[in-house]
Order: sequence, then C-alpha cells, then structure tokens
Amino acid sequence: MKRALYLVLPFAAALALAGPWAFLTYARPFPPADKIGTVRQSAVEDAVALALGVRRLAADLWFIRLIQYYGTPELDERDNSGGEKDDHGHGQPGHHCEMENFGEGKYPDFLPVARHILALDPYFTNAGLYAAGSLAFNMSRPEEAISLLNGALIYSPKEWKYVTLLAAIGYSKAKDPAKVSELITPLIMEPDCPVMIRQLAAFLNKRLGNYSTAYKIYKTILETTKDRFYIDNARKEMEKLEKMKVFEY
Amino acid sequence: MVGSRENIVSFSGVTKVYRRPGLFRKVLVPALGGLNLELKRGEIAGLLGLNGAGKTTIMKLMTGLLFPDAGTVSVFGLPPSDVASKKRIGFLPELPYFYPYSTAAEALMYYAGLSGLKGPAARARVDAVIEKVGLKPHASKNAAEFSKGMMQRLGVAQAIVHDPELLILDEPVSGLDPLAIHEIRELISQLNGEGKTVFLSSHSISELEKITDRVFILVQGRLANTVARAEWENTQGGLEEIFVRTVK
Amino acid sequence: MKYLNTAWSIALHSLRENYKNRFFGLFVVFAGVLIYASLLAGVMAVDEEARVITDLGLALMELITLVYALLAAAAAITNEIRTKTIYLVFSRPVPRPAYLAGKAAGLYAAFALMLGVMALIHLSLLYFRGFVLPPLYLTAVIFIWCKLLIITSVALFVSLFATSTVSTVAITGILWTLGHFTSEAKFLITKSSGAAALVLKAVAYVIPNFQLFNARDIGAAAPPAAPPGFLAGYLLLWLVVPYLFSLLLFRKKEF
Repeated sequence: MKRALYLVLPFAAALALAGPWAFLTYARPFPPADKIGTVRQSAVEDAVALALGVRRLAADLWFIRLIQYYGTPELDERDNSGGEKDDHGHGQPGHHCEMENFGEGKYPDFLPVARHILALDPYFTNAGLYAAGSLAFNMSRPEEAISLLNGALIYSPKEWKYVTLLAAIGYSKAKDPAKVSELITPLIMEPDCPVMIRQLAAFLNKRLGNYSTAYKIYKTILETTKDRFYIDNARKEMEKLEKMKVFEY
Repeated sequence: MVGSRENIVSFSGVTKVYRRPGLFRKVLVPALGGLNLELKRGEIAGLLGLNGAGKTTIMKLMTGLLFPDAGTVSVFGLPPSDVASKKRIGFLPELPYFYPYSTAAEALMYYAGLSGLKGPAARARVDAVIEKVGLKPHASKNAAEFSKGMMQRLGVAQAIVHDPELLILDEPVSGLDPLAIHEIRELISQLNGEGKTVFLSSHSISELEKITDRVFILVQGRLANTVARAEWENTQGGLEEIFVRTVK
Repeated sequence: MKYLNTAWSIALHSLRENYKNRFFGLFVVFAGVLIYASLLAGVMAVDEEARVITDLGLALMELITLVYALLAAAAAITNEIRTKTIYLVFSRPVPRPAYLAGKAAGLYAAFALMLGVMALIHLSLLYFRGFVLPPLYLTAVIFIWCKLLIITSVALFVSLFATSTVSTVAITGILWTLGHFTSEAKFLITKSSGAAALVLKAVAYVIPNFQLFNARDIGAAAPPAAPPGFLAGYLLLWLVVPYLFSLLLFRKKEF
C-alpha cells in the first residue's frame, strides 16, 4: 500500500498544482459569462452552450436567427398593413436592399441579437461586419453600428476589418461616399466578405459613376452568395448597367 | 500412489468471510473456516458439497481471484496472486461467458496471448485445442451462436490452451447432455493421463465417482471428510452414502 | 516488456469488443444522419453555410462520441465482472496494472476510430457542398479526442466504486459540463465570498478544465487557450492520476 501511495502522491500533487495554475493563469479567449446579456429569454440556452462548450455553435444559431429576423418585414411595414406596400422592385417589402429605396429599419432586436452573437463568439467577424454594415448603411443607425464594432474590438483588437468598417461608417456620416468606397475596397477583396458590404460597395461605385467596378462587384455577388435577395438584386442591377452601354463588360 | 506425490496446492488454516453491503454496516458472511487441504501432483481430486458450502470460494482462492482473511494458500509453492503460479494453472469457472461477437478461435487466441503464447505458436496451439475439445466445425462461429455444451467446451479449451500443469474446473459438466458429459469426462481423463493435475467440483456424485482419485467433502465452509477411491468403492452405497453421512 | 505485451493484447481485445458492438455502428450511423441533416441549418445560414456545417458537425461528433464514451467506459470493467469474463483474465498471469492500462488504451483507440469515421462523413458533406477543409479542423478533432481521453480515464476510476453504470455515467456527465462551465464561471468566484467562494474555488481547481482543449470552439481566429507543452502535460496528468487511483482501488479487488 505504501509503495502504491509513493507512486500516486507525486502525480496527484502535480495535478493538484496544474489545475489551479491553469485556472488562474490562462486568459480565456472569450468574454466572461456575465458579459453575455440575455436576449429573447436566451439564459437557459446560453447556459447550456457554456456548459457543453459550444459557444461558436450558439453564435451560429443566433446568427441564423438574426438573418431570418432581418428577412421579415420591418415593423413600420407591418404597422402600415392597410396601406400600399413598396417592395422596392425585388418582391420582398421591407427587406434589406439597396440604399436609395430603403426606408428606416425598425428592427428593435437587431442590435441586442448582434451584440449577443459577438458576446458568445467575438471572433465571428463576418457576423460583426454584417450586423454593423446593416445597421449603418441599411437601417441608418450608424451610432449603433459604431457601438457594436467598438465592443467587438475589445476582444479582437487586431481585427482590421472592424477598424476599416468603422472608418467607412465615419466617412458615411460625413457624406463622403468616395472615401467610404475606397475604404471598404480591401474588405470586399476578402473571399468571405459579407455580401451586404459588397452590395454597399457596388452601390457606392455605381453612384460615383464607376460602372465597370460596380458591374464586377455585382458579378462577384452572383458568384459568391446564396442569398436570393442579393442575387436577384445583383442580376437586376447588372441588366440595368448593360442597358446603359457605358462600359465594356 | 497419490499419497507419495508432492503437494502442489496447500491450504493452511484458511478462513474467508464475505462482506456484503448492509443497511448501516457490512454484513459478514463466513464462507470458509480454518480450512486445511492439499492437492497432490498428478491426481484428479473432486470437491463435493451442498450449495453455499464454499466450493467456488476454494477455487477462487486457488486462482487469486479472492484473498484469504486468515491462513495461507500456496500454489506450486507460491501465493496464488503471483503471476508465476498463474502461468501453471488453467481455470474453468461455472457457466463461462465469452464475448458474443468473438469467434471461438478469436477468444482462444486472446486468452492464449494473456497466458504468454504468441504468434504462430499460439495459432498452432489454438487449432490443436479446438480440435481436442471438438469445436472444429464451430471455430468460426460467434460465441453468441454457441449452445451451452459448446460454450462449456470453449471454456475447457481456454483452460487448457496454455498447457497448464493444474486444471481447476468448477462444475465442468453442469447443464450438459449425457453425450457431452461423457466427452468432457474422457477429455479430463486424457489430460490427467498427460500428467496434469485436475481439481474439479461437481454436484454430481456419480460423476466424481467415475473420474476422481479422491474427493473432499465440504460442509459449511469446513473440510468435513476426505474420501479416497478405495474407501467409497468398498462402501455400500458408494460415495453418496459417505456424503450423506458426512453432511448429516 | 511483458506488461506491455499483455496490455497491448487487452487493448486490442477492448478495441475489437467496441467496434464489433452493434451500438458502435449505430452511434456512427446516427451521427452520420445528424451530420447530413445539419445541411438544413447550413442552408439557413446562407453565406455562413461552411461555418455552420463545420461547427454543428464537430459539436455533434463530440456529443455523440461523448455519450458512447461514457457508456462504454462505465461498463468496461463492471461488465466483465458481472459476466465473470474477468475470471478468465485474472486466473491468468495478467498483472492488474496491465489490465487497467489495456482496457483504457482500447477505449481510447475505439473513440479515435469513431471520431475518424465521423470526421470522414463530415468532410464528405463539406466536400459535397463545395467547401474546403476548415482551418484547424484536424486540431479540433484531435482535441475532442483529448477531452474524451480525460473523461474516460475518470469514468473508469469512478466505475470502480460507483454502485451502478447509471451513476457512473451521471457523475462523469456532470464532470464534463462542470469542466466546461467552471472556467467560464470564473466571475462567480470573484463575486462570492466565504465558504461559497472556497467551495467554488475547490471545484474549479479540481475539475478537469476542458476549456483548455476546446479548440473546436476557439477556432482559428482566437488565441490558443494554453501552450502545447502545458496541454500535453496536463493531458498526461489527467490520464495518469485517475489510472493510479484506479490501480489503488483495483489492486486488491476481489471477484
């Protein structure tokens, strides 16, 4: 028995030291659990996600909910249900679409859900860009977009895409579309760039008279996205640009 | 003569008490009390007793599956838990069970490996043993498809696959048909003829009479009588008469 | 050397026992069905389909293998005792340390096989959808296996004194969730005081920290939870210490 204990004790002691050392020393890559705010009665779901170590998956599921939520008609469209609905030319009233035809978005849960996604997984960059871009350029809520990006930068301080989008939002507020377009060009070169950022870039280039660039970006949207709304819109815009006959395509 | 051979197994003042979990404390169940017993090399010895007399306990003590609470057990001069003594014994427990998805050959190769046989030597030995116990037609069947008799044969096969000097067989003919019983009996005699010592327990007095050189009669954990073949052959009523007299 | 040979034989037998078990196949098939069903979630995620299919697939692989691992580890030794197969083992010159090591190693190999098959199914789905191998995929799968090694070694230890397989599974299941949760709940300790804080600290220090091996969740963008050297040492300690404690319980166990 003594011999067995002599063998067990040093290893058990090493483990008894390693456990607290790991717990106290190593920085967790995620925000602490108390920073995950509850949204839409998510407390139990969040606790289960933490307990099973599936934060990324939980963030993914919330992102699906976000894009589905954003795909439903806006609150003001539902409010004016008796009046004529404007589908902005693509058959789906109220959905995120190009800037010149978009009304004010009243998706009150959009920011809390977006924050929730980044609190669960702050490295879900595309979700951050998608949400911030939608808030700033579709829903005309730049302050909320800025607060979302600043929160995301706390855990991803080296994420240049957040910084770039922040700058673009700044120039958008300053009504400098040329500068916005210039700033977001590196973003749209990334293969996994959110489609709404590409959409914004195409729109800005078209407005600035850079039809050839706008056409190429719409073509890229057709090739890379599966979102029906952006595909239909890109096709429509490409037809318009082809009819204009102002560049070689 | 059995009496002149060396002792290969020796129980000296062995006591074993089982500790069963009770409501507030453990319940002590005495199994053996002060047992003294010797097995001689080359003999076939039987163990006879009522249910709960301690037969299986003795066999488990010999194989190192149980440890005595008092006294000493020695197998080939070594403690039963010593791996050197275990190399020289083969044990067949009552109603042996094998992994259902293993074939007979796979099971025997596994146990042969655990007994120190490897490679082609193990393969050859397994094939020979399968033939010896009459399992050749069923060698590639899964154990789940085996009948009781086939399972018992496989049990005997695993006990002899490593060619042990001492065979400890707990109820080797339990639940078998008469033909299978006959074949197992023949096999035991054959193995003894090869120089192996056999120690077996049974409820069947007639079986023990047919095959053993002497029989230990166990009553409530104590060795009540040791009966040599000559004695029961010269007693009217045979071993049964002696057993009933001893137990009562 | 003989110990190693014996342990190797037992490990191979344990591996064979597992993959020939019909539940092994059922679990793999079930996982395959669920992984392919995750296609629906991927489609709903539109342009994040690759990420969702990857994350959901890896999570399913981990959870399904975990359930099998807990059941297999809880029953590995107790089943052999119950069916008396263990008599045929320990009536032979099999050292008990070698038996325990072989049983554990066989289970580890079985889980590696299960994860490997599931990973192939998962990668086939990703390939079918036109996606490339996700970054750190192999690391994520290996670290899932590392977590399973830890919980298995603990389950084997618990099975030696637990009253039933169900209680072993329950205890180790709770340890699994605590192992992920306690590192997340560090803030609870800072907000607690007195006895509650002590208890929380003791739990956090003693429970295996599975978050360290949660590469599946951390992904390529986040910094690694700990240096590889520490992780290797931590894993080794969590395999060796439960093994040694199991040995203490098992060396004088009677059958």
